[in-house]
Amino acid sequence: MTGLLAYSVFFLTIAGIYAIIVMGLNIQWGFTGLFNAGVVGFYAIGAYTCAVLIGPDRTFLFGGFGLPFAGGMLGAVVAAGLAGLVVALVTLRLSEEYLAIATFGIGISVQLVAINAAGLTGGTNGLYGLPRPFWNLTGDVAVFNLVYFAFVLVILGLIWAALARLIRSPWGRLLRAIREDDVAARSLGKSPVRVRIQSFVIGSGIMGLAGALYTGYIGFVSPIDFIPILTFQIWAMLIVGGSGSLLGGVVGSLVIWLVWTGSGTLLSRVAPPELQAQASAVQVILIGLIIVLTILFRPAGLIGEPRAVTPARRGG
Amino acid sequence: MTLKTTLLSASALALLGALAQPAQAQDQSCPVRLGAILSLTGSLGSVGEAIAEAGQLAVDHVNEAGGVLGCEVEYLLRDDQGQPSVGLDAAKTLVEVGGASVLLGAIQSGITMPILTSVAVPSGVPQVSCCSTAPSFTELASEGGTEGLWFRTIPTVSPQGIIMAEKAVEMGYKRPAVIYVNSDYGSSLASAFEAAAKTKGLEIAAMVPYLQEQASYRAEVSTALREEPDSLFLIAFPADGANALREWLSLGGPDTLMLSNALRASEFVEGVGAQYLNKAIGIDNGQIEGESVEIFDAAWVEAFDTSPNGPALHNMYDAAMTALLAIEAAGSTDGEAIAAQMRNVTGGGGTEVLTGPEGFANAKAALEAGEKVSYVGATGAFSFDVNGDVSGPYVIYSVAEDGGFSEVDAWDTARVDAAVEAFNAADQ
Repeated sequence: MTGLLAYSVFFLTIAGIYAIIVMGLNIQWGFTGLFNAGVVGFYAIGAYTCAVLIGPDRTFLFGGFGLPFAGGMLGAVVAAGLAGLVVALVTLRLSEEYLAIATFGIGISVQLVAINAAGLTGGTNGLYGLPRPFWNLTGDVAVFNLVYFAFVLVILGLIWAALARLIRSPWGRLLRAIREDDVAARSLGKSPVRVRIQSFVIGSGIMGLAGALYTGYIGFVSPIDFIPILTFQIWAMLIVGGSGSLLGGVVGSLVIWLVWTGSGTLLSRVAPPELQAQASAVQVILIGLIIVLTILFRPAGLIGEPRAVTPARRGG
Repeated sequence: MTLKTTLLSASALALLGALAQPAQAQDQSCPVRLGAILSLTGSLGSVGEAIAEAGQLAVDHVNEAGGVLGCEVEYLLRDDQGQPSVGLDAAKTLVEVGGASVLLGAIQSGITMPILTSVAVPSGVPQVSCCSTAPSFTELASEGGTEGLWFRTIPTVSPQGIIMAEKAVEMGYKRPAVIYVNSDYGSSLASAFEAAAKTKGLEIAAMVPYLQEQASYRAEVSTALREEPDSLFLIAFPADGANALREWLSLGGPDTLMLSNALRASEFVEGVGAQYLNKAIGIDNGQIEGESVEIFDAAWVEAFDTSPNGPALHNMYDAAMTALLAIEAAGSTDGEAIAAQMRNVTGGGGTEVLTGPEGFANAKAALEAGEKVSYVGATGAFSFDVNGDVSGPYVIYSVAEDGGFSEVDAWDTARVDAAVEAFNAADQ
């Protein structure tokens, strides 16, 4: 496998994991209008739950149950979903702005717990040497990367199919009804709060699943994997791609992650050696600029939400 | 296709083009490429930039001495933005597309570790970190998880804690408080100090972690002062450390201070004021005096016109120099061959070679003559153990009135080893 291909597989795997988180956020924000600013918290809960369940036994740690990876994934979905339920019960009566602030605080709190609960999370050193599924299949890292990429693609496809079905169902229409007009939905005898909770829990569970996939791919988790900027990145992916569109979320993940990482490569090629250390500041400006330009020129995202009432043509 | 989508796809293509372009260059053996992943922005951006420049300086010196394997050395620097996934992507690009023979970095252990286990080890590329101090690397290496490809030029924090506890006893402190940055570096060093202090009969008044980049550390400082400590061991990075120490002194904390290695930086001394630091002692690995150190310091001043006082500058220079020496000694850019030579070009014996272009030129001449070389670096002489950890000298420094640093007590390797053994015996 040539270098560029090997790198592309790696890049697409990470982008695919991010696309899964974006799908979780899409159901919450894109379809239900719930402003979750603590995305990273649910992702972290999934990643750590998986790590604790599948990790090797170490004397200074509580975890290390050595479960197979499927168990880790299941645990991650359940834990993140439960966390979503608790958060939803407490905060979903809040209106948009307040929900954003509350969830932002929750996202940061999860990271602080990861830093400080050293007996469970390994503290600042993180959990290392975690087993990776498919790792020992052939002993060739290129094969592992390919297989894992296929695995992430399959999961992504399954979630996509499930969400597409949900959205077309009456329940999915209800989500959008609540997003557009809460009072109108209530006047039709629907219970917005219950539906919001369901949507929030499903979204959180999906984010947790993405966390488990990251753990399985890297074999290591530590608190700095879950810094608040990740929440911003996920939001940027959703908004640039087009919130309310499943395809948009995936396209947005690819585009933003390509811009985010590719701009570094680009700058390291064009910047003169003596300015290399300073060029990284330009990278941050570049990323911001691209996001702002996309929003200015395509406010509905690269792929906008399909029109629900009078579809110009069929779309998914 | 509208104009906008055309523009967007054009820029995406340009990015892909930038990625694809060096793929052809990989087939040639020249130049030799050294990849570096460091935090140039993000929470450690303020220290990362100088560390990156130290790596550049080493590469410049080697090129001045004619490069390695008859090739020019190219320094491929990438920013990890303080985010592991970004650092990982950078490392993967450097190895798969950029053709890097060795990876240098990263700074934070939480970024270094995934790069090591997901990129360096699977691809068989040696990784040399200037800066990651977490004990987990030692454990991973002893479990066989690093396949001998892992090295670091900064010592683990454990000897530092032991030596500092010994110094605390020597200074007559009874109840030191510890304020530490809640990162892998800070918490590992703090607990190493705590364990060593207990075996020496010291009472730790308080162990107070703090979070990076806060506006004020009054709460943390008050918590520590409430226990009436007679001294303070401050484990911090320069900017936050200065901030915390100003609050400590203004709330009446004692000026009997102990400082961690990351605080040997002009930024810290200027932030606090040298006049408040006359009773302070600090610890750092490596020498701060000696010919090889002076050559580096002079070269730094000449190149950047600033004083070479900052966390891990000397370690980064040594990481780059050792890696390049190992490539020259290996005679190829094969990862395993380079890793095998890392220990041969350090650790004493053979021809001693120093820093700077002249040092590297001497090393090349000696290697060509078939002699063994031993690098004495910007941190003095050092050697790598089986786990890739460096053991080397430590120094206790004090802060002079003009804000400079001077050596008050030198710990050579034998003395460090003895202290560590004594601790291990007492800890059983």
